[in-house]
Amino acid sequence: MVAELDIDARGLSKSFGDLKAVDGIDLRVERGECYGLLGPNGAGKTTVIRMLHGAARRDGGELSVLGSDVTTHSRRIREEMGIVPQENTLDNELTVYANMWVFANYFGIPRRRSLKRIEELLDFVQLTEKWSEQIKNLSGGMKRRLLIARALIHRPRLLILDEPTTGLDPQARHLVWQRLRELKSGGLTILLTTHYMEEASQLCDRVGVMARGRLLVEGPPADLVRERVGEEVIEIRGAGREAAVAALNGLGLDIERAGDTLYLYCRSGAEVVERLVSAGEREFLRRPASLEDLFLRLTGRELRE
Amino acid sequence: MNAADMIPSRRALRVWLRHLVQYRSFYVAEWAGNFGEHALYLLAFGYGLGRLVPSLNGISYAQFIGPGLVVSIAMWTSTFESTYGAYNRMRIQKTYEAMMSAPLSLGDIVFGDLLWCGTRAIVGATLMMIVLGLFGLIGSPWALAVMPIIFLVGLMFGSLGLVSAGIAPSFSFFSFHFSLVVMPMFFFAETFFPLKGLPEGLRLFSQMLPLTHAVKIVRGLIIYGRVDDFLFHLFVLAGCTLGFMVCATVSVSRRMTS
Ligand SMILES: Nc1ncnc2c1ncn2[C@@H]1O[C@H](COP(=O)(O)OP(=O)(O)O)[C@@H](O)[C@H]1O
Ligand SMILES: [Mg+2]
Repeated sequence: MVAELDIDARGLSKSFGDLKAVDGIDLRVERGECYGLLGPNGAGKTTVIRMLHGAARRDGGELSVLGSDVTTHSRRIREEMGIVPQENTLDNELTVYANMWVFANYFGIPRRRSLKRIEELLDFVQLTEKWSEQIKNLSGGMKRRLLIARALIHRPRLLILDEPTTGLDPQARHLVWQRLRELKSGGLTILLTTHYMEEASQLCDRVGVMARGRLLVEGPPADLVRERVGEEVIEIRGAGREAAVAALNGLGLDIERAGDTLYLYCRSGAEVVERLVSAGEREFLRRPASLEDLFLRLTGRELRE
Repeated sequence: MNAADMIPSRRALRVWLRHLVQYRSFYVAEWAGNFGEHALYLLAFGYGLGRLVPSLNGISYAQFIGPGLVVSIAMWTSTFESTYGAYNRMRIQKTYEAMMSAPLSLGDIVFGDLLWCGTRAIVGATLMMIVLGLFGLIGSPWALAVMPIIFLVGLMFGSLGLVSAGIAPSFSFFSFHFSLVVMPMFFFAETFFPLKGLPEGLRLFSQMLPLTHAVKIVRGLIIYGRVDDFLFHLFVLAGCTLGFMVCATVSVSRRMTS
């Protein structure tokens, strides 16, 4: 059976002057799926999202969302799509409640009819007590949660979140994750971008790793990690560990050096540990490979500001 | 963004309603302030300065500038709303961006802003009209008919303001808008002195300012209850407004879609 595609992008491209912000991306998100777009700052994630709702014009490729072409039907698509932007776009001069009903009004939902839905959503994101608060008195986490509630006002079929948890404390982040899981189990299709690999591993059925406008790999996070990194990672920290490494010759290990740390990527750590111990090496860290390893291996370790 | 997105629809009213809700929070204080300010203007110019001015075609100087002040207040309020106000919404508060994540097209957003500019112009002009009434400077019940003209003035200066807001790199850019667009009209649109007897060049210049035509209509209605060449003035006013509205949509769309 071919699942229905809520997002179908082929060869999607976008340049700003000479900069290819998005460079020929194929992106398919099935109905009911949660897809995570990962990538360092400047990879082009936000630009992809802006093209999805018609805020940025693509220069090339095909893009259809919820079954319609974005170029010709962007406004209609937005009637069934919720967007949580990377930057706060709340109405700072209005209260929490007014923000919600004014936004409902943008969708043509009259105030009386939106009332119950607003109560429901404020409760969902735990902001009920703040309903008459001015936006400027909310914390960063509360603003993010309100943005999420606002994006759900019209019961969208597709929810797009651009870095929904950046800058949140762990409590707020876990609340957002919880809510997103609930929405997903209710059948909502979700596309999110994130820097938090744990977030992507926990929430996403599939992830795509972007860098410099290109999609490098794509797949279920656990599979990707197993195929591309291995099962386990052993970290050896500190200088002068060449002797230890020499003991590992012949194992065909994938070794990466970054600063003062050696990363050994392997299928199984048992034999490596044995060799290290018998070479007199006792200070190392053995842990399961994670999405973060994959991410760093693919996109490099240098800083992107 | 395609061409169809540039054409406004009824949904512009949703944008207008947002502005109204936002405004509601401080209007009482603002109205009281404006009311005092308008009365002050009239006293200072109409009666203070007016003592030095001989009667003009049988009307006092205060009577003469009253309608000029009504129109210029419409111009000032809609200009502030569409320059500083719209820039703030576009670039700082990201209100436009939020609207564009909802099913509102660029045309809806621009026209909603313009409707709001028209509304603000009517509110400002009404306060001034009340002041004129209190000073006994309204000569005809036709004065009530100025409101559609005031609304047009609001749309026109709203559009001009949005053109600038779309290209402004920062707030300070608007000082150009005020010195090149607003001030010349404020002084030379027959608001403060009649055109008759002015050097030919200045008269031509004044005639070319769209605001002049609004002032002529409004002055006619408020003082005499009739307007010479009404259709001509209306045509110029409406034509300019429509042209500027197109420019405003293009300017905002260039800013908002990349
Ligand atoms: N409006 C714009 N004008 C010029 N360059 C832009 C614009 N928007 C984004 N870029 C550039 O495009 C690249 C991708 O940006 P973005 O999509 O925001 O990345 P991400 O969201 O992954 O951090 C960056 O190099 C950024 O500087
Ligand atoms: Mg981004």
